Amino acid sequence: MTGRKVLTGFEITADSHTLAAYRARGGYEALARALETMQPEDVTQEIVDSGIQGRGGAAFPAGRKWQGIDPHDGQPHYLIANADEGEPGTFKDRWVLEHDPHALLESMLLGSYALGVRHAFVYIRGEYDRPWRRLDAAVEEAYAEGLFGENILGSGFSCDLFVFRGAGAYVCGEASSLLGSIEGTRAWPRNRPPRMTVRGLYQAPTVVNNVETIASVAWIIRNGAQAFREIGTEKSPGTRLISISGHIRYPGVYEVELGYSWTKFLHEDCGGLLCNKALKAVIPGGISSQVLTGMDAKVLTPGEVEGMTLDHEVLRAAGSSLGSGGMIVIAAGTCMVRLLQIMLRFYRHESCGQCTPCREGTGWMHRIIDRIVAGDGRPEDIGTLYHIARFNDGTTICGLGDAAGYAAIAMLDNFRDEFDHYIEHGHSKFGGNLECQ
Amino acid sequence: MPVIFINGEAVDTGEHRTVLQAALANGFYVPHFCWHPELSVVGNCRVCLVEQEGRGVNIACNMPVVDGMRIETDSETVRAQRKAMLQFILLNHPVDCGICDKAGECALQDYHYAYNGEPALSREPKQKGTKFYPLSSRILLDNERCILCSRCVRFTREVSKSNVLGIEYRGDSALVRPAEDRTLDDDPYSDNVIDICPVGALLSRSFLHQARVWYLEPTPSVCPRCARGCNVQLWHRKPEWRLKGLDPAQNTRILRVTPLENPRVNGPWICNRGRDLGEVLERPRAEQALQKGAGVTMMEAIEATRALMAESTRSIALVSSWASNEELRAFRNALGDNFTSFVKPDRLPEEGEVVEDELLIRADKNPNTRGAQALFGSDPPEIPEDADLILVWGEGVDFGRLPRGAKTVFLGSWLLPEVGHADVFIPLSIQTERRGHYTNFEGVVSAFESCQPRPEGVIDAETLFPLLAAPGAWGRG
Ligand SMILES: Cc1cc2nc3c(=O)[nH]c(=O)nc-3n(C[C@H](O)[C@H](O)[C@H](O)COP(=O)(O)O)c2cc1C
Ligand code: SF4
Ligand code: SF4
Ligand code: SF4
Ligand code: FES
Repeated sequence: MTGRKVLTGFEITADSHTLAAYRARGGYEALARALETMQPEDVTQEIVDSGIQGRGGAAFPAGRKWQGIDPHDGQPHYLIANADEGEPGTFKDRWVLEHDPHALLESMLLGSYALGVRHAFVYIRGEYDRPWRRLDAAVEEAYAEGLFGENILGSGFSCDLFVFRGAGAYVCGEASSLLGSIEGTRAWPRNRPPRMTVRGLYQAPTVVNNVETIASVAWIIRNGAQAFREIGTEKSPGTRLISISGHIRYPGVYEVELGYSWTKFLHEDCGGLLCNKALKAVIPGGISSQVLTGMDAKVLTPGEVEGMTLDHEVLRAAGSSLGSGGMIVIAAGTCMVRLLQIMLRFYRHESCGQCTPCREGTGWMHRIIDRIVAGDGRPEDIGTLYHIARFNDGTTICGLGDAAGYAAIAMLDNFRDEFDHYIEHGHSKFGGNLECQ
Repeated sequence: MPVIFINGEAVDTGEHRTVLQAALANGFYVPHFCWHPELSVVGNCRVCLVEQEGRGVNIACNMPVVDGMRIETDSETVRAQRKAMLQFILLNHPVDCGICDKAGECALQDYHYAYNGEPALSREPKQKGTKFYPLSSRILLDNERCILCSRCVRFTREVSKSNVLGIEYRGDSALVRPAEDRTLDDDPYSDNVIDICPVGALLSRSFLHQARVWYLEPTPSVCPRCARGCNVQLWHRKPEWRLKGLDPAQNTRILRVTPLENPRVNGPWICNRGRDLGEVLERPRAEQALQKGAGVTMMEAIEATRALMAESTRSIALVSSWASNEELRAFRNALGDNFTSFVKPDRLPEEGEVVEDELLIRADKNPNTRGAQALFGSDPPEIPEDADLILVWGEGVDFGRLPRGAKTVFLGSWLLPEVGHADVFIPLSIQTERRGHYTNFEGVVSAFESCQPRPEGVIDAETLFPLLAAPGAWGRG
């Protein structure tokens, strides 16, 4: 068991995702109570007090984001649930969409009430078919029972929900780019300032939150911020959905209480590594979070990953993050040069091409690593890769360019000898292995 | 007004809302590719880096001015980052300046010399792209040279509103392309994208490989093709670069027309008709005075005209709306009492031409209707049946519809059929052969300068009119 549950504390059956089942577990009670007894500000305050941090990647405090909007300023506002889930290794929002779509919908209603939102959106990854069908069916159920539309539950509060399906670009998960996708323009990330809570969708103040972040709101309002704070650690309250994949025996989605032991998680809950290999490295939260080393550690002491707990501070201190919750387990014997090649190919392919350092830098790094893998590496390539990767940090419009740089730097820092070996000998130290054999 | 400190100097930012604007307006140059004063801010080229005390390096074009902020435009960090940024911009750039029309006025060249100057760091092969992609019958696109600043895209969205251009694909495969089923031919302002492209990615077909720009110089002028009177620059060879071996006409030919920024008239834009001034100005010229179709000397033609005027009891003048204010004044001063004068349009909208729109193009296809009407009234031409002398100044009059018995004097510049039909024809100079002013439809007066020699046998209207009115023939009343 991975600690206490916020999102997954019910048994999955053939119809546990339906409105009736959700109601039977107390669903939509928080909404009814909030509409009756709470002011919009009270709902926001509750989220602030809960201390919940964004679950989409940057771990920005959700309450603080919500406070950026004044629900009474007379403007239209928008709330968008980011269900684009494009970060490689990440498939945890999918769990919410498939198994508990009403938790998301109730939370969207609470959020819309708190932020003075008349029209709310769910932006869902185009490749997600079953999640989309489940969500769509849930929206219909909710409309049929008057949970969306005009004058919800007789409270005078009205809210409509639109489910918007993306067309398959990673960058559309970046919050400002997502706005363009909904508006029908090219989905290019936008410069800040202005912040999206000042000028977002259709130029109106907008909050974009990750599905998991929003889906936790109903629980928080139902049980109170205090109850939420009691779960997890002091600085990282609550739980995280972690989708684990790679060289691990039981891949899947786990809800992990923050502060949970990483060793227990890997070796007990997830059944240990495939082929009984030692742990070489973990990418803790999607490939945009920095790789951490396992037993072959260079930067951390041997086995340090196993000694760590899963929470935001500990990972930050280790130079990485829980990111998007997409954990990728890498067993001993894996070629990190090939792995970086695959990661850089991804960034190059997904760079929107708007800003110079990312458009050119991701392609440049990819071409260099391609050449190294082809056996034509040169000693100075490492320096050039560092130069490009470091330059991308902070000079780009959105986080994609930064992330490509972070990914490369962490791989080079931690597995430098493999890169040197590949360049010197023209072939991989580990036979180019990506599979666990 | 917020005061900020740029390189230690206090700067009153006035109306300017971003650090880039405030810096440029106060003489601190900050390089920029994607930012353009008339377009929205996209901040994608990332070259306009400046350092804000306590905040590090960021782009100036999207940095709001905040009272008291301290900005360095040329600190060591800025210099290093800018240099690196140029390496990135040049990563896939072909640097084929030797065959690039933009060379000499290319921001990328200039910035490279000013801020980078070092050989490429990259050893990788460059990304190949389409060269000479036809965007329209007027414009070619070189995707290898394009730095994806999106100025051209924003121009068609925000200024000309044709929405023709967009960017396809992602990352370093991204390409500027016209929207499906569209070409830039649909945009009457398309050629402005050639000017605002910071590099040589957008090429004018008519100017393609015609000249290196450093051999050329611009003469300020005014487009005569509609009542907006857009200020333009006429580019021709510099006098010191005239080639003896070249046909003299080539040495003074107008090789391209670009806008001359004037916020009161046209801003930084002109329409494509303005670029195609040659269509009007370079028509075959009439350079020979005629009497009933037979060649005469200029003096004979003037004498003949004076004789016709002396005989006439009812003289009508149809005044040119292509004439300069100076010429119009000369006519009124010299001959105003001899003629009942009406202003006529020299040119009317042509088949297929945009008649009028909300940006620049005006339905009146003449540059100085307002200037002419200020002197001769705005009544439409009305020619009485008993008129016995009709002076037609400029084109646009159908001689067949003039009263039968009237004698005709035609003052014109081009070889039109009317030249032979008139009783007297006197060839006049054209706009590029003299200086003058036009008054546009809003009353703004703009000057044009001369840049071509007047052909022999041709006279300036300003010189002609006093001769027609010379004392001794008739008093000036
Ligand atoms: C390239 C890129 C892709 C992203 N993709 C996603 C995504 O698929 N899902 C998501 O929730 N956030 C994604 N984000 C993060 C969002 O920009 C945004 O920060 C997040 O949705 C905010 O939600 P949160 O505060 O609840 O975490 C992405 C960011 C970047 C830079
Ligand atoms: S960092 Fe990359 S993905 Fe983000 S805006 Fe720039 S080019 Fe696009
Ligand atoms: S665009 Fe500029 S740098 Fe590029 S080839 Fe042309 S002149 Fe040279
Ligand atoms: S063609 Fe020129 S103006 Fe258009 S995006 Fe490319 S560089 Fe910019
Ligand atoms: S001019 Fe500022 S980013 Fe291009």
